[in-house]
Amino acid sequence: MRVPLNWLREYVDIQQTPEQLAERLTLLGMEVKGIEQWGADWRSVVVGELLTVEKHPHADRLHLTTVNVGSGEPLHIVCGANNIAPGQRVPVALPGAVLPGERRIERTEKMGIASEGMLCSGDELKITTDAEGILILPAGTPLGKQLSDLYGDVVLDVDVKPNRGDALCLIGLAREVAAATGAAIRWPDIAVEEKGGPVGERLRVEVKEPELCTRFVGRWISGARIGPSPDTIQMRLQAAGMRPVSNVVDASNYVMLELGKPTHTFNGAAVNDATIIVRLAIAGERLETLDHVVRDLTPDTLIIADPKGPIGIAGVMGGADSEITDATTEIAIESAIFDPVSIRRTGHRYALRSEASLRFEKGQEFRLARLGADRVAQLTLAWAGGSCAGGRIDTSPTEPAPARLAFRPARVSKLLGDDIPIANQRDLLRRVGIETEPASSGVRINVSAEPKPLVVDPGSAEVLVAVVPTWRRDLAVEADVAEEVARVRGYEATPAHLPDTLMPAYRPSPLKVRDAIREMLVGAGLSEVVTHALVSPEHEARLKWPVDGEDRPIDDPEVGETIVVTNPLSSQHSVLRRHLVGSLLDVLALNERQGRADVAVFEVGKGYGRAGGEPREWTRLALLLAGSAQPASWNRAPRPYDLDDAKGLVELLCRHLSLPEPAYHADERGFPFHPGRAFSVSEQSEHEVLDGRVAELHPDVTAEWDLRSQRVIVAELAIRGLADGLLPRVYVEPIPRFPEVERDLAVIVDDSRTAAEVQATIARHGGELLRGVRLFDLYRGAPLAATEKSLAYRLVFGTNDRTLTEGEVDEAMAAVRDGLAADLAAHIRS
Amino acid sequence: MDFESLSADLRSLQARALKEIAEVSDPASLEALQIQYLGKKGDLTAVLRGIGALPAEDRPRVGAVANEVGEAVKGALAVRGAELHAQVQALRLASEKVDVTLPGRPVGRGTLHPIPETIAAITEVFGQFGFVVYEGPEVEDDLTNFQMLNMPPDHPARDLWDTLYVDIPGHLLRTHTSPGQMRVMQTTRPPIRALLPGRCFRYEAVDASHGFEFFQVEGLMVDEGTSMADLKGLLDEFAHALFGPRKTRFRPGYYPFTEPSVAFDVECVVCGGVGCPACSKSGWMTILGAGMVHPVVLQYGGIDPERYQGFAFGMGVERIANLRHAVPDLRYYLENDLRFLDQFR
Repeated sequence: MRVPLNWLREYVDIQQTPEQLAERLTLLGMEVKGIEQWGADWRSVVVGELLTVEKHPHADRLHLTTVNVGSGEPLHIVCGANNIAPGQRVPVALPGAVLPGERRIERTEKMGIASEGMLCSGDELKITTDAEGILILPAGTPLGKQLSDLYGDVVLDVDVKPNRGDALCLIGLAREVAAATGAAIRWPDIAVEEKGGPVGERLRVEVKEPELCTRFVGRWISGARIGPSPDTIQMRLQAAGMRPVSNVVDASNYVMLELGKPTHTFNGAAVNDATIIVRLAIAGERLETLDHVVRDLTPDTLIIADPKGPIGIAGVMGGADSEITDATTEIAIESAIFDPVSIRRTGHRYALRSEASLRFEKGQEFRLARLGADRVAQLTLAWAGGSCAGGRIDTSPTEPAPARLAFRPARVSKLLGDDIPIANQRDLLRRVGIETEPASSGVRINVSAEPKPLVVDPGSAEVLVAVVPTWRRDLAVEADVAEEVARVRGYEATPAHLPDTLMPAYRPSPLKVRDAIREMLVGAGLSEVVTHALVSPEHEARLKWPVDGEDRPIDDPEVGETIVVTNPLSSQHSVLRRHLVGSLLDVLALNERQGRADVAVFEVGKGYGRAGGEPREWTRLALLLAGSAQPASWNRAPRPYDLDDAKGLVELLCRHLSLPEPAYHADERGFPFHPGRAFSVSEQSEHEVLDGRVAELHPDVTAEWDLRSQRVIVAELAIRGLADGLLPRVYVEPIPRFPEVERDLAVIVDDSRTAAEVQATIARHGGELLRGVRLFDLYRGAPLAATEKSLAYRLVFGTNDRTLTEGEVDEAMAAVRDGLAADLAAHIRS
Repeated sequence: MDFESLSADLRSLQARALKEIAEVSDPASLEALQIQYLGKKGDLTAVLRGIGALPAEDRPRVGAVANEVGEAVKGALAVRGAELHAQVQALRLASEKVDVTLPGRPVGRGTLHPIPETIAAITEVFGQFGFVVYEGPEVEDDLTNFQMLNMPPDHPARDLWDTLYVDIPGHLLRTHTSPGQMRVMQTTRPPIRALLPGRCFRYEAVDASHGFEFFQVEGLMVDEGTSMADLKGLLDEFAHALFGPRKTRFRPGYYPFTEPSVAFDVECVVCGGVGCPACSKSGWMTILGAGMVHPVVLQYGGIDPERYQGFAFGMGVERIANLRHAVPDLRYYLENDLRFLDQFR
């Protein structure tokens, strides 16, 4: 809320500088987000007196004026306005002046006559909305004074929190200033001179929905003359960020800013039968609102109607037909209290939220209905004349007494962690208008309110009762009193110390496995990325990453359907991703556009899906390799990434997590994979801990993503423990005491045999002395047949209780050879 | 053959050998000399073959001379060998000289993303004070995200969190990590010291300081006497750990799920508190929101507010990272331009 300080001073004395006041308010919980010098953009605009006003010899609509600006020779200024006369005091923009909107004023020539500046309209200065005439200043305005010194103001931008609707006005903020500085509040003197007949003869009000409109106060003014409101009022409204409209509308807006009470003024003549009905809309009813939009009203909308139909949406916006116009003379004033939830829903329903509805939504002090109606009537009479009908229509004239809220001062101290004496607490509360008194016996404490109320017997604890001012609708439970004590005292007075209470039990961090993997992959040369979880639906359609059973996340039985955002910001981010690979392709594309060809990235992130109406989330590791694994260097040849790099990373990962060797199974489905360069991976333990897919992408995918990289290697892995696991423990094998024996074996097999088959066969036949098998060479070509290949393995034999004899090893090797021959029709190259 | 002529032969052999050894210039020739003079079929052996013709009494004397000659040649060979080795080695080393100012062979290492790294920095500090990490779902239900946090439907404070909804009835994308408080309270008993890092979503247009996806870290501490003074003490430690010895400020804030509520400011990291555009001339930067857990929230969490009290805090990870690393634009984080990420080496 914008708070012009000169306006605020009407209600409370301010001794502090704006900066000091801003800090005090901020520390009290009314955060000042900005301090604006209003009028700072009137540079070199001074007060002048018109000495002469004559017709311009060459232009009918222009005048030649001479203006005394307090010093030096009178200035000759050409002016186009018609409301000027000698003797008037007016704002004069001197040559070199800059007006709002960075408009520069220079010495010019108009129709052959020099003009040494400009006389300003209210609109040109953004003081009033009058663009036709020159702003005529009061007669006594000091000559030669800078206008900004006279009319400039300091405007505080105060962030009023949603629970403090009472402070969304000058009176409310004046109360906070008073609490901060100890100054006293000055209420405006609200009194209405009633010259007309009884209001009941002019206006009838029927409230059909007393639950939704708990109070309706109406007044009637006859014979008003619509025109601009006084310049000072327009200036205040402008400084507060509200556009002046006319004296009657300005009166209503002024009261909203002053008291926080939204009211509405109708053209009384346009209210049929002078009867206002507060009711729910009927299906099919329509209303053109003040913003000239015709709205279809839904039956749950609370409206203001006359016997012929709707004339306003209650608490949100009035209707165009009953708008105050220049011809209006009869004014009906509505000052009502509406149900906050109803107003809020209506505002959302019509995407129409006004300054009025924002205040209604936060709840209104009950007596404001009366005060608001009276204040609007008073200001209308002052600014537009006319006579006010006697009395008010009031559907609920009984105003409730202040609520009483019992609290235990000792609890307040305990919550704040500081012993604040009771007398102190009472003084602090008094500064925000909360009187306290001793509690009677049997009083109960509201610890917690709706929707989970908890009311307790205080037992022997000392209890005080806070008399809550009627405007403080936010104070409902004991903790609310604690906050008032704390904020008025100043949070800086709260001591700071480290907790000395019990520690919680140990719990392993769910980030542990993730962090280990992240560190490892970064060490292996990959960079971590964090991408959007919200992606385009195209993503999934373009990539077609398999979602079959094989691919299901380990920690979740089903990937399920895609979750769709029902109110997305853009279609680019409208669904939750099920897979991470598409996001990594986006990262590659972005970096390629920046000229980066070598991109090796990974993300540990979530996939999302829905199954059986329930959301599911799982954590995955995805990686992408494109460009050079080894960028060219003066001392090394470059090498492009290939599938083996991804495998190496998977194997490193398994070692790092103490998992068994992973097994690879070719995936020859084709798109989105290279049909000959894709596989699924799982490690071979009893409890599957890792699975997923590793592939070189099909060229059509890279084309789809407009990628320059010819070969893009990707992987997406589910790893048990990624979400919340521990790193597996290492169990140490004793260092062998007896030497191991190594033997090499070159196995020639048909090309269709996989390395995995050959290795598994060796392991199967190697016997218990075989400790390890490692492929060290792959050969195709002469003298082998074209359909053959040779795989060379190094076999390691050993046992823990003796040195092996040659004979034992020969025997084991023979068994391996025989097994290979029998199972795979392999022969051994010697 | 007599003793005199034999020993003269030996002496001349010695003189010849020493001369040749001194003249030799490579290890291979030196080795050839060793064989020539001292080998089984070498010159020394050949001379000594004549020893048999000597009278028995002369033989030991010749033996002594021969030993002397042998030792002298051996010694000369060793000395010359060492010299030659040193020469050869020096030559080799000289030939192996490199320009040490050339850059090294690149060892590829990637970079960790600043978001998880900032989360790690935050959890590290609170971890020292016994806070343990939990995680909650990102696709939340309205009940946990709002209602149990004291925001029933149509509560005006819901405006503080513009929400993205999903096609699962009653569900939304969590707008903050605060629903995690509820998840912790529902699964564990006090004493509670919990941290909840994670991704959040809001219906918010993207610019340099806003995004529809961002990360938060929530903290929750509940025990019998946990007070606002504990909160203040911990937050001071945290701010000093991450931002150094700067002034901090504790002031009233507003959240429906805390009472009293707190905004926590740190002296502006750009201007040091003097006032600059980065801190809107206030000299302060707000780094997190906090407060004492509202009794309604404790009740929803199954915790008796008469017995227990506690505090919660929530901070934007990007905000913390921005201040620590002077990142000018929030969009950098999820865009993953390597020119940005590479800087975190």
